[in-house]
Amino acid sequence: MLALTAGGPVPDGFDPVRMAVTRRALLRKRAGLAAVRWPVLRASHGERWNAVFAAHHDGRPSRGALADGFDVARALAADGALTSGALAELADHEALWHYDGSGEPRRRSAWSPHRLRHRLLRPRAR
Amino acid sequence: MEGAAAAAAVVVVAAVAAERAVHGVTGLGGLGVGWRPEIAAWVADRPGLGFTEVIAEGLAPATPSRGVTELRERAAAVVVHGVRLNLGGVEPVEAARVSHLAACAAVLDSPLVSEHVSFVRANGHDAGHLLPLPRTREALDVLAANVARTRSELDAPLALEPIAALFDWPEDEFGEGEFLTRLLDRTGAWLLLDVANVHANARNRGVDPQAVLDSFPLDRVAYVHVAGGSEHDGDRGDAPGTYHDTHTDPVPAPVLELLGSVVDRLGYAPPVMLERDGRYPSGAELTGELAAIATASGLAPDVAR
Repeated sequence: MLALTAGGPVPDGFDPVRMAVTRRALLRKRAGLAAVRWPVLRASHGERWNAVFAAHHDGRPSRGALADGFDVARALAADGALTSGALAELADHEALWHYDGSGEPRRRSAWSPHRLRHRLLRPRAR
Repeated sequence: MEGAAAAAAVVVVAAVAAERAVHGVTGLGGLGVGWRPEIAAWVADRPGLGFTEVIAEGLAPATPSRGVTELRERAAAVVVHGVRLNLGGVEPVEAARVSHLAACAAVLDSPLVSEHVSFVRANGHDAGHLLPLPRTREALDVLAANVARTRSELDAPLALEPIAALFDWPEDEFGEGEFLTRLLDRTGAWLLLDVANVHANARNRGVDPQAVLDSFPLDRVAYVHVAGGSEHDGDRGDAPGTYHDTHTDPVPAPVLELLGSVVDRLGYAPPVMLERDGRYPSGAELTGELAAIATASGLAPDVAR
């Protein structure tokens, strides 16, 4: 299991090629699940989404689709590599969820300062 | 001239005139489809369906969605299919998950529940996917114990689905057919035969799928899954030519041919359903897939209307 999800070594006797194929298939599945929670992030990468996701998460176990997407979005935002749509999506998620990068995201209360501030400052359609 | 030629070009895949059979124990029969919220409207509009299948982990038995409630109100049976029970896990199956499965089956009045010959979690790590078990006596013991724990809470019979396995274990003691036969003999469970999985496993090992079917306990078939997949070429970083059972691609011809072969071997058309998990095509294309399954089973295509 560790070899497939957390970057562990391939145990003796297993076909390393097959295990690598399986590892990449699991990553693609994770990328698809993260895409459901982060549709704009996913769409902004088009066909490159699986590769972008794998670059961040290969060898690291999943903390769930929401957290997986958070990790990718935050890293790309720090590099200035997000489209404006994906940035807005990240801002929406940051307002709704408390996620410190190590545990699971927790939903913020409706009255948390983050959510109130986000509601006040989010640009409105005219 | 063209019209006559077209009328004559009926591809009969099943050599035996296939009767639409009704399973003696479950009462299941005909064509089915895996229900998904994304295609709920299309499923609701298919009066010819013999049954549907719903994923247990997507259901809230106490508060079913409208789409699921509508399924229950149809005349056709609903099978409950679990994906996260972890029958192959060394730890006993979680009581809450078994109860959930039973609750779903009760709410939907299911004549059958199905799960996988697989593990999904180990040592606190979740694969997020169905992984193959070693085909050993020890694994049979683990599976038999977990199947017994599960069956003790279910009113309906249980069917087990062998999965598409991207790798094998070095300590395998049995071939897939023998392992499956021993498992079903020990547990009394039925077989959910996924012909796409048979195709994938044979294709990826360079073996003849007919030889695989020769070894399978086909007399235990409760129903059949059909699904699409695709090959990944080396450019995408995979071993060239690996066939992936994606459930997000059209059903390829070799899988339909395998279905025809199963029908020939059984002498009747078992309950058979289309499984699709994403990248949903148009309703017309889905109907076309159902019609192809009907044709491959030797049934009249209008049962797919």
